[in-house]
Amino acid sequence: MGFQFDFSFLLYEIGVGIRFVPVVLLLSVLPLVAGLLLGTAIALVRLLRVPVLAGVLTVMVVFLRGVPLVLQLTILYLAVGLSFDSVAQFFGLGMTSKDISATWIALVGLTVNATVYLSEVMRTALQSVGAGQYEAAYSVGMTTSQVFRRIVLPQALPVAVPLIGNNFIGLIKGSSIASLISVVEVINATLYEASGNYKFLEAYVAVALIYWVLCISVERLTALLENRVGVYGNSGVV
Amino acid sequence: MENIFLVSLFWDCFPSLLSRLHVTLAIVAAALALGAVLGTGVAVARLYKIPVLAPLAAVYVSFIRGIPILVLLYIVYIGLPLVVAGLTGVNINRWDTLVFVMIAYVINVSAFLSEIIRSAVGGVDVGQSEAAYAVGMTRWQAFRRIVAPQAVRIAIPALGNTVVSLLKDTSLAYTLGVIDVIGVINAISASTHRSLEAYAAAAIIFFALSSLLEQVFKRLERRLGAKNTGMPGQKPQRSEIATVGG
Repeated sequence: MGFQFDFSFLLYEIGVGIRFVPVVLLLSVLPLVAGLLLGTAIALVRLLRVPVLAGVLTVMVVFLRGVPLVLQLTILYLAVGLSFDSVAQFFGLGMTSKDISATWIALVGLTVNATVYLSEVMRTALQSVGAGQYEAAYSVGMTTSQVFRRIVLPQALPVAVPLIGNNFIGLIKGSSIASLISVVEVINATLYEASGNYKFLEAYVAVALIYWVLCISVERLTALLENRVGVYGNSGVV
Repeated sequence: MENIFLVSLFWDCFPSLLSRLHVTLAIVAAALALGAVLGTGVAVARLYKIPVLAPLAAVYVSFIRGIPILVLLYIVYIGLPLVVAGLTGVNINRWDTLVFVMIAYVINVSAFLSEIIRSAVGGVDVGQSEAAYAVGMTRWQAFRRIVAPQAVRIAIPALGNTVVSLLKDTSLAYTLGVIDVIGVINAISASTHRSLEAYAAAAIIFFALSSLLEQVFKRLERRLGAKNTGMPGQKPQRSEIATVGG
C-alpha cells in the first residue's frame, strides 16, 4: 500500500486557492490599515494618560489580548445573529441578520484584534524614543506636530516597522480562522473542490503553500522597508 | 433583548468548561516539552551550520511559521496516517485525535522556539565565549557556564509570548473533535440549544489563564534580571511583542 498523493489535483487546488487570495488580502490589509490608525490613537491616549478614556482602553486592550481570535470571531458572529434582528426591527432598517455577510463580521473582528495588538506596537515604538528627545525638540522651539514628524517618528518607525510586519503576517494567518465562521476564503474554497473526491490532504497542502508564499513575501517586504526607515539609525560607523 | 444572553446559563457553563481544562493544559504542556527538544535540535543545526541539516532546518522553520495552525492541524491529522502507512505499513488511523493535535502543536511550537533559541544564543556577545575559551574552558563548559545563562535571560520575554500564544492557539484543537475547554461547548449547546454564553465563559477562562501565564513570566523576568528593562532608545526584539492571530 503506497502513499497516495495526487499532484495534479494539488496543482489544480493551488489554482483554485490563488483565485481566493484577494479575500485573504482583504481580510488582512483592511484590518492592518484600520488597526494602525485606531491603534496609534489608542497608544497616544494611553501614553498621554487621557483621564477615564485611557483606563477604559487599557482594560479593553488587556482583556482582548487574552482571548483567542477564534473565540472573538465566534462570539461576534453569534451575537450579531442573535441581536441584529431585534436591533434592526427597532430602528426599522428593513434588514435581517441574514443580510450581513460573514465576511463583514470577520472584517470587524480582525480589525478589533489588529487594533489591540498594533496599539501595543505603537506604544512600544513611541516609548522607545527617550523623553530627552521630546524635551530637546521642545526646547529649540518646535511645535508638537514638528516634534512628532521630525524627531519622534524617524526614531519610532525603525522599532515599529518589523513589529507591524509581524502583525501583518499574523493577520494573514489569522484570516484563516474566518473559514470557521463560513467565510469563503482560500481554505473553504479549496475544501469545496475536494469534497467530491475526498482529496482533502492535497487541498490543505495547496492552502499551506499559498499561505507560505504570502508570508514570505510580506517578510521580504518588511525587510526592505526596515532598511528604508533604518537610515536614521545611530548604530555603525559614520 | 433578554433572550440574547442568559446570565444564569453563563455562570452554569463554568463547571463543565473547567472540567475539560486538563485537556487544554495537557496540549500546552506536551507541545512545550517536546517542542523545546525539537526546537533545540533545529536551532543547533542552524547555529553550528551543520551541512544539509542547516538549510533543511531553515526551510522547516520558514514553512511552519508561514502557515496557519488551523491548516497544520489538518495536514498532520490527515497526512500523518498516510505517510506512516506508506512508509511502514502501520495503520495509525485509530490513534486518539488528541495525539495528532499534540503532534501538530509540537511541530508548531518547535519552529517558534528554535527561532527564540537561535536569536538568544546569537545575542550573547562573541567576546563572552572567546574569554571563556581563553581561560581554558571547553566548548561545552563555555556554553553551559557562560553563554546559556545569558541566553536564557535574553529569551525569557519572547518565550513568555510564545507560551501565551500557544495557549490561545490550542483553542483551535476543537476543530478536529478534541473535547477540551472549547470542544465541550458543542455538548452544552446540544442540550441547551444556545452557545453564546458558553463561548463567553470560555473567553473569560482563556483571559484568566493567559493573564496568569503573563504574570508568571513577568516574575521570572524580574527574578533573572532579564534585559530590556526600558533602557531609553533600546530596540525591543521582534518576538517580544505579542502578535495578532493567536
